[in-house]
Amino acid sequence: MNAPATQGQSKLVRWIDHRLPIFTFMQHELHEYPTPRNLSYWWNFGSLSGIMLVIMMVTGIFLAMQYTPNVNLAFDSVERIMRDVNFGWLMRYIHMNGASFFFIVVYIHIFRGLYYGSYKEPRELLWMLGVIILLLMMATAFMGYVLPWGQMSFWGATVITNLFSAIPVIGGDIVAWLWGGFAVGNPTLNRFYSLHYLLPFVILGVVVLHLIALHQHGSNNPLGIDRKGPQDSIPFHPYYTIKDMFGLGVFLIIYCVFIFYLPNALGDTQNYVQANPLQTPPEIVPEWYFLPFYAILRSVPDILFIPAKLAGVLCLFGAIAVLFFLPWLDTSRVRSARFRPIYKWVFWLLVLDVLALGVVGAHRPEGWYIVIGRVATLYYFIHFIVLFPVIGWLERPLPLPTSISAAVTRRSGAGMAGATAPMEKH
Amino acid sequence: MLKPVVALAGLALLALVAAPAAAQEAVPSQSWSFAGPFGTFDRASLQRGFQVYEEVCSHCHSMNLLHYGDLGPNGPGGGIGYTEEEVAAIAAQHQVTDGPNDEGQMYQRPGRPSDAFVRPFPNEKAARAALNGALPPDLSLIIKARADSSPVKDITGGADYVDALLQGFKQPPKGFKMSPNMNYNVYFPGDQIAMPQPLQGNDVKFADGTHATLPQEAHDVATFLSWASEPMMEERKRTGVKVLIFLLALTAVLYAAKRQIWAEIH
Amino acid sequence: MADTAQPKPMGAHTHDSATRRDFLQIAATAMTGIGAAIAAWPLIDSMNAARDTLAAGAPLDVDVSHLRPGQQIVVLWRSRPIFVVNRTPAELKTLQEQQVTSQLRDPGSETNQQPAYAKNWHRSIKPEYLVLVGICTHLGCIPNFTPEPGALFPAWPGGYFCPCHGSRYDLAGRVFSGVPAPYNLPVPPYNFVSDTVVRIGENPSGTTFDLNSVEQL
Repeated sequence: MNAPATQGQSKLVRWIDHRLPIFTFMQHELHEYPTPRNLSYWWNFGSLSGIMLVIMMVTGIFLAMQYTPNVNLAFDSVERIMRDVNFGWLMRYIHMNGASFFFIVVYIHIFRGLYYGSYKEPRELLWMLGVIILLLMMATAFMGYVLPWGQMSFWGATVITNLFSAIPVIGGDIVAWLWGGFAVGNPTLNRFYSLHYLLPFVILGVVVLHLIALHQHGSNNPLGIDRKGPQDSIPFHPYYTIKDMFGLGVFLIIYCVFIFYLPNALGDTQNYVQANPLQTPPEIVPEWYFLPFYAILRSVPDILFIPAKLAGVLCLFGAIAVLFFLPWLDTSRVRSARFRPIYKWVFWLLVLDVLALGVVGAHRPEGWYIVIGRVATLYYFIHFIVLFPVIGWLERPLPLPTSISAAVTRRSGAGMAGATAPMEKH
Repeated sequence: MLKPVVALAGLALLALVAAPAAAQEAVPSQSWSFAGPFGTFDRASLQRGFQVYEEVCSHCHSMNLLHYGDLGPNGPGGGIGYTEEEVAAIAAQHQVTDGPNDEGQMYQRPGRPSDAFVRPFPNEKAARAALNGALPPDLSLIIKARADSSPVKDITGGADYVDALLQGFKQPPKGFKMSPNMNYNVYFPGDQIAMPQPLQGNDVKFADGTHATLPQEAHDVATFLSWASEPMMEERKRTGVKVLIFLLALTAVLYAAKRQIWAEIH
Repeated sequence: MADTAQPKPMGAHTHDSATRRDFLQIAATAMTGIGAAIAAWPLIDSMNAARDTLAAGAPLDVDVSHLRPGQQIVVLWRSRPIFVVNRTPAELKTLQEQQVTSQLRDPGSETNQQPAYAKNWHRSIKPEYLVLVGICTHLGCIPNFTPEPGALFPAWPGGYFCPCHGSRYDLAGRVFSGVPAPYNLPVPPYNFVSDTVVRIGENPSGTTFDLNSVEQL
């Protein structure tokens, strides 16, 4: 395997590769690249995320050819796309539902990482780059939603940009600077359009870094133990290329059911009403993928000398910031929740907690929703800041298998279980 | 062990989410020809509905996103079944402001298919001045904007709402305090709507001879408005069938290939 | 490189299973490729003219009843200037004079720049009304209407002068020799729907002509 990757290829391939080693690169990183042999379907969501990014960028570029970023024309230009542009309705619904599906696959991808300890050494930077991608996605999605200039576009923009006024002293100036005026208006719409077109390319760059970091040590796996040798790995191609393709097929079926038959199910009907700065809609609700964060924002009361509005903003950003520190907050020496009996429990509590926050975020802050919202917000932070380190210290993990291949062959019924190794240090 | 408990809790949460906001009276579900994955618009109903819009609703409600030509064969989704001649005739019935002419004046001329539907009022303030301060909303997207009574926000939800609303004008219950210039409607949020009852039945004489009862008019105009909200709906559903069949076949082949390739490993 | 497990050697498979694997992989690859092409088409087609753009290019009716002899009006059709001229009998006479036609590059309108029903000495349906696409066939400027005889130079019979590079056309839009423009000004499809109304963009019934088929727009 030490011969150049292009040996035996055509002269053209070798000519190019000698000058720009793209073929060697692909052979090494996509074809031979050693991947754990035991990856489950939960490992499909990384490639699905990448594909969603491409789908969003491509449909976005073609939509941008037809959209007009002016407050008097934006809403109508979107409807022109829906009615008059050839396949405009299709591109719009793909892009609109694509935002939701992008977040669905990314959230699953993140929770996979939480469950299997993919953020732990040596993948800390890989994880942090992922959190940066999430942040950029949230900014991109927020600005994109403003572009159709419906009621939710305008009022969502108003509410969220107003958050920055919570910053002491300079908050008001920052908001006016963001707006480019006295309120959300045409300057705001134009700059959001520019940035919405820009940020996905920034995301793309961070994704490249994310993949480089990944390839340094390779993928984690459901057992959470390192690859020991060639018997633990298989080449990425053809095994995971075909598995990713199959997963993509299943995903596309679900995605297309929404595009073609349930195109508005995940959206807000109020956004089919043109923005009216003089009329606030009865409910201002962000898109579903922001609901847990929205709940956290609204749940926080006055804390000591910090007014509720500022406290809410700090907790909102804190909720994402805390994710950066997970690799150090988690003190367990075992990666995968499969071998962590207490953490496994607690992980599902987090899932429940995030779902509860989502429900709270969708409703007006009244009655039971206030209580649940506060408890859920408190739990969210306790989960990461308290439970992560404490469980790591107190938990007695299950014995880990000796190696991936040992676990795999044992699973396929090859006689009595091999001896398991004492708990490994990572 | 724990997972079923969490799953149940998750489902309970979903039920909370799916529960609609409390309405004064629940909007009754009708059956619509365009419902479901294979639904299509009934062209006769679309034309009757357009007639109701033209003769009644258009006096107050604009439909700025529609052009007269949209109703004909060159329109989105193939229009509502009118021929090019009929569309030209419909357009020509309306006077459209054009200009400036060579004297610099705006002037009126008969409409053309490429013209947008004529507005009843030149601007919002004129509408409010004429209507006790109320602004009749533009109807181009009203069905999509009122689709909340459908759990998946399908246009049938909006059609149910508009159909019900048009028939929902009643006497207010005893002791109910009506605000001035408002009308009691059991389906409108808050029960008071600025629009007086627009249809009583027999408001139009349908060109195809159908009896213009109130439920018939309401059903037809809701159908027309549903088409207007999303004229490409039929093409969307048709394309969906082809795409999903292709994807199912492709996924099946990919699955078989995956099993084949992985068979060597297992 | 050296630390991936190798799949079992080929010899372990029967010939049947090997061909089935090839078939599946070929089928999978082919169907994926077809899917990608089908997915690309809507994006490409979305760049074609949209419905409203096509509708705005619908035929345009021009009322010539107020057009005085010797006068030209310009209207926009499909974003192009269209010249409509009411030619005087004197002007029509000059079109057939040998003194004029001998100076023209294509006096008989041999090059395909007009519909069949305008391939005559007056390049129009009715001799007195001329309809042209007012775009110079050199590099696309709009020529100036210069009908007065002797305006440019003593022997000038009347016609068009393009200010950009000096191309000249006569009062039937025919290009003079020795100017940069290579072809006569195009004649668009048009039809008299009444004695006084010209519909630009529609051919008389029974005829066909597509403006995009001309040599140079």
